Amino acid sequence: MTTTLTATTTPATRLPRGPRGLVWAVLRVHRTALVFWGLTLTAATAGLIWLHTIADDARRANVPCAEPAHDGLASCASIEALFVDDIYSDGIALVTTALSYVIFPVAAWAGGALIGRELESGTARLAWTQSVTPARWLATRLAVPAALLTAGTGAVLLLNLWARTDDNPNLVGDWYGPDQFAGIGPVAVAYALAGLALGTLAGLLLRRALPAAGVGFTAALLLHLVLERYREHLWPTVTRSEKGEFELPPSAWQQGWDITWGRHPGEGTPLSTSATFHPQSHFWPLQLVETGLLLGVAALATAAAFWLLRRRTP
Amino acid sequence: MTAVTLETSTAATPARGPRGLLWAMLRLHRSALWFWVMLVAVGAGALLWAYGPGADAAWTEYHRAGCDATAAGDLACDMGRGAAYNRYDAAISLGSGVLALAPFLTAAWAGAALIGRELESGTAQLAWTQSVSPVRWLAAKLAVPATLLVSGTLVLTLVHRMVFSADGALRLAAGSRAWYQGAAFEANGTLATAYALLGLAVGVLAGLLQRRALGALGTAVVGFVILTSALGALRPYLWPVETLTDKDVYPEYIGMVVGDGALTSTGARVPDPICVGDAKCLAEHDIVGFYRDYHPASHFWPLQLVETGIVLAVAALVVLIAFRLLHRRTGAAA
Repeated sequence: MTTTLTATTTPATRLPRGPRGLVWAVLRVHRTALVFWGLTLTAATAGLIWLHTIADDARRANVPCAEPAHDGLASCASIEALFVDDIYSDGIALVTTALSYVIFPVAAWAGGALIGRELESGTARLAWTQSVTPARWLATRLAVPAALLTAGTGAVLLLNLWARTDDNPNLVGDWYGPDQFAGIGPVAVAYALAGLALGTLAGLLLRRALPAAGVGFTAALLLHLVLERYREHLWPTVTRSEKGEFELPPSAWQQGWDITWGRHPGEGTPLSTSATFHPQSHFWPLQLVETGLLLGVAALATAAAFWLLRRRTP
Repeated sequence: MTAVTLETSTAATPARGPRGLLWAMLRLHRSALWFWVMLVAVGAGALLWAYGPGADAAWTEYHRAGCDATAAGDLACDMGRGAAYNRYDAAISLGSGVLALAPFLTAAWAGAALIGRELESGTAQLAWTQSVSPVRWLAAKLAVPATLLVSGTLVLTLVHRMVFSADGALRLAAGSRAWYQGAAFEANGTLATAYALLGLAVGVLAGLLQRRALGALGTAVVGFVILTSALGALRPYLWPVETLTDKDVYPEYIGMVVGDGALTSTGARVPDPICVGDAKCLAEHDIVGFYRDYHPASHFWPLQLVETGIVLAVAALVVLIAFRLLHRRTGAAA
């Protein structure tokens, strides 16, 4: 026991500390991207902490009001003139939108810098003649950015949820807004990973930096647009039908209204009203289905990338 | 007469079509050229569809829902967003989206493929040892894409204007797309073209600065995003605003609102003390009314042209810097 233990641990301690080998090579080659990612995360973190500190003021400036003021309610006109809630809303919207757009630069970078350039310049083939097999080369190239992306977007996502405090839709937007939906749930991380996988596949397919960056970006754009367009179909809607007319709460994601009028359309009360919508309780099912789809796309693209690499290399 | 024939025959001896630098550029960047042609075709096609069948279907749906009969405030009509209207709206989004995206794509492409890759691989240096001087090389790299960009964006802008002026009542009914909103404001005037040219200039400068394809791509996009958001933030202040005032409440909300607040008896503008309706509090603060600064729709062209002028001036400055940089790098050869 003693001999084996000492024998295996001693050589390991002799090597320099920090990441080594392939991981080190990936981090070192892509240090510009790493620094950019680090700066972006720092800025987002600082911004969100600041937004959290003004969150209470923003809520004070965003209260029920009446016009003219009565019953202890402030006047709407005067409340509108307070700025802090605008600054808070804009800040939260900026971070949320940025989170939902992470997929685009990631896909372009993965196709161009991570894979395409290496194959175009022959650096990859040089690496494969060393002690690195192509499969391990690709695995490291996917695993290191995937870990950093998951940690980074995950951290900003949690900070974003923390800075939104009570999720007042008047300040931070409705949960079903296109950017909001993609910036306040696990789909944010899944989008980033899907972008990495799509970019990688584009790089392996095209083997040239710039076309791969363009195709990776386009693939990510298409995926983003398609999911945004068809998101509401990922979970069955709820239908509510009543005689006469009714209103839905603002938290409902309205999908369609069907109003049956009597003899004179548009006059008086309609005979019956039927509305289809997603109640707020559908947030998690919708998020999980979309996350599953995105991770499925990422897994498929990764599998295709490995399969392609194996076919290309002996 | 014979002399004229002779003249034309000598001119016709070289191969037809573009030649020299122009030919080399079009040939080298043919995928980018086809991509741009396709983008313009898709954008224009979507807009034309919205202009014709799209708008017709949306109107049919609007009438069928009985919306022209109901008073404002009806739920279904307030939403105004049946399936046909959504398709109409999506087609316009696609058209104006192409115009909005074009400057960013141009910046990325110009930084990476047009300049950065040529300097990285040494193709540019090779060209300079041929009969092409660096200045002519850069001038061609700017002029040819600029011509194609201007033609494409102008076509899309004209079609977008046509759609926008035709079915204003439909958009008004659905409460979407005002004249001052980002994508529509740019797509309806000269700004889409100006920003595309600025994207080209920024990309070229980034390529010359970095001399590497992918690095220049990143720099160009990040630099252009910063530049456009700074210019976009200036937009409301580029033309004198109109002011509406009212005694007891805020004036109504029309057009592009720039700012609002309270007025004292001396006419001074002060922050609102937040007590509209409370006569005692208002008297204490000497508030006699409220104002709202805004741009009416008639300010569209002044705002548009001033911003276009600024954007083009910035683009010219960036191009000037690019030429100076090239001159310094290549020295007497230029």
